[in-house]
Amino acid sequence: ATLCFQAFLQMCNLPIQVVCRANAEYMSPSGKLPFIHVGNQVVSELGPIVQFVKAKGHSLSDGLDEVQKAEMKAYMELVNNMLLTAELYLQWCDDVTVEEITHPRYGSPYPWPLNRILSYQKQWEVRRKMKAIGWAGKTLEQVLEDVDQCCQALSQRLGTQPYFFNKQPTELDALVFGHLFTILTTQLTTDELSEKVKNYSNLTAFCRRIEQQYFEGHDRDSSATAAARSAKRSLLR
Amino acid sequence: MAAPMELSCWGGDWGLPSLHPESLTVMAYAKFSGAPLTVNTINNPWRAPKGDVPVLISEDIVISQPAKILNFLRKQKYNADYELSAKQGADTLAYIALLEEKLLPALLHTFWVEAENYCSVTKPWFASRMTFPLSLYLPGKMSREALNRILLTRGGPPIYSLTEVEAQIYRDAKECLNLLSKRLGTSQFFFGDTPTTLDAFVFGFLAPIYKVCFPRVQLQEHLKQLPNLCRFCDDILTCYFRLTVSGHSPAGQDTADANLQKLTQLVNKESNLIEKMDDNLRKSPQHPPRKLTTLKLAAGGEESSPLNRLSP
Repeated sequence: ATLCFQAFLQMCNLPIQVVCRANAEYMSPSGKLPFIHVGNQVVSELGPIVQFVKAKGHSLSDGLDEVQKAEMKAYMELVNNMLLTAELYLQWCDDVTVEEITHPRYGSPYPWPLNRILSYQKQWEVRRKMKAIGWAGKTLEQVLEDVDQCCQALSQRLGTQPYFFNKQPTELDALVFGHLFTILTTQLTTDELSEKVKNYSNLTAFCRRIEQQYFEGHDRDSSATAAARSAKRSLLR
Repeated sequence: MAAPMELSCWGGDWGLPSLHPESLTVMAYAKFSGAPLTVNTINNPWRAPKGDVPVLISEDIVISQPAKILNFLRKQKYNADYELSAKQGADTLAYIALLEEKLLPALLHTFWVEAENYCSVTKPWFASRMTFPLSLYLPGKMSREALNRILLTRGGPPIYSLTEVEAQIYRDAKECLNLLSKRLGTSQFFFGDTPTTLDAFVFGFLAPIYKVCFPRVQLQEHLKQLPNLCRFCDDILTCYFRLTVSGHSPAGQDTADANLQKLTQLVNKESNLIEKMDDNLRKSPQHPPRKLTTLKLAAGGEESSPLNRLSP
């Protein structure tokens, strides 16, 4: 999510400084990451941040007509609904991943026993949510199939265009980039998730293009941002 | 010919074949694709395998969620999306996600959480369709599940009270309705002239909001300000659910034409019926005379509702 939003701000040509803090979740007004701190205002979550940036006069979707805006919102919901939930599922409901990767990463800034307690708490919370929306009964294969379907839809929508709408990037591009890049570059116990995404060559080309276009200026800091990204991911939701 | 397929789902009222959005979606899809389904209304969801509703039973195969049921029907060659391009297929998925994220919480809230609605309409209706003693327990459970789902998916900080969550979900739902209306525009269905999966889902979610008479109706009122969506629901109800021609043929176009003729006849019959009802009401000692405003195309069980809703 951090990445979605770094991409979005880059696309708007707004300079940002990435800082990581162990208690970032508590500093955020909504308890969710990422959040931005501008002057004396603090805004969190992608939706409100987009509104905030728009109010300041920067918007990426002004060139779209009403029907396209409706489509964009629908696709953003698809990404949130499918990809985000699948990422959460993999991180917190798949026992192997949970034991080997998530628990250590989530608890790493804290001493024992706080790290275990906080990770279990988070896990319980996520599992409750999965149960409420009906994902608790899904097996890993079904989740991967859903991700595949979502990627297929995104790939078909993207087609051969450089961005999802016309030649200009929009919030949807930032969101999709953030999620896909995270999936492609995060180390998990199995590579199945990233394999699913790699099946769609136009999606991988899309990610590479955005990375080169908007993040290459930070090559020097790439090690710093990579460390920031992995630290932030340990606090991911 | 495929094996006979049976769908178990909640029954209907107020002119709808079912009050349950997911059941309605499956029924609409079956009509669109010409799949021969026998519909059973259930009164004991626990007897249904896995306890989920709606559930499709075909020989030994039992399938329970709408998405899976639709997939199964497609595999049996009842495919309403045959003419869609790949991009339109992708759009379908996206819009369905939009419906589930933005509209469903408000729908659940209107039916199951809003106290006045739940106590005066939803609970008695569902309880009357369930066997005793389930009727004492199950509506409450469904209500708690709905509230749980709303709070867990929408209720995180900075929203700390239920009223704020409610305000947010209704805002989202109204925005979603506006987006759907813009997308539909003036065409008859979402992708041209033939209905597809997306139409089934939208109908399944919108029709209960549109037709069921609740005391608290802010979502319905908002929907009524979007005439193309109302027309969309009415069209599907009249073409696909009222007039069962040899309605299982996949030639949707022919049945639509035949339906149109029957529609005209039905309109005349209905307006006569409504005038008669109006006369009866005028003569009835309990109700003061009510004005009839524009009459929508409505079927039997529903004539009383436009009249009831005209209270000042």
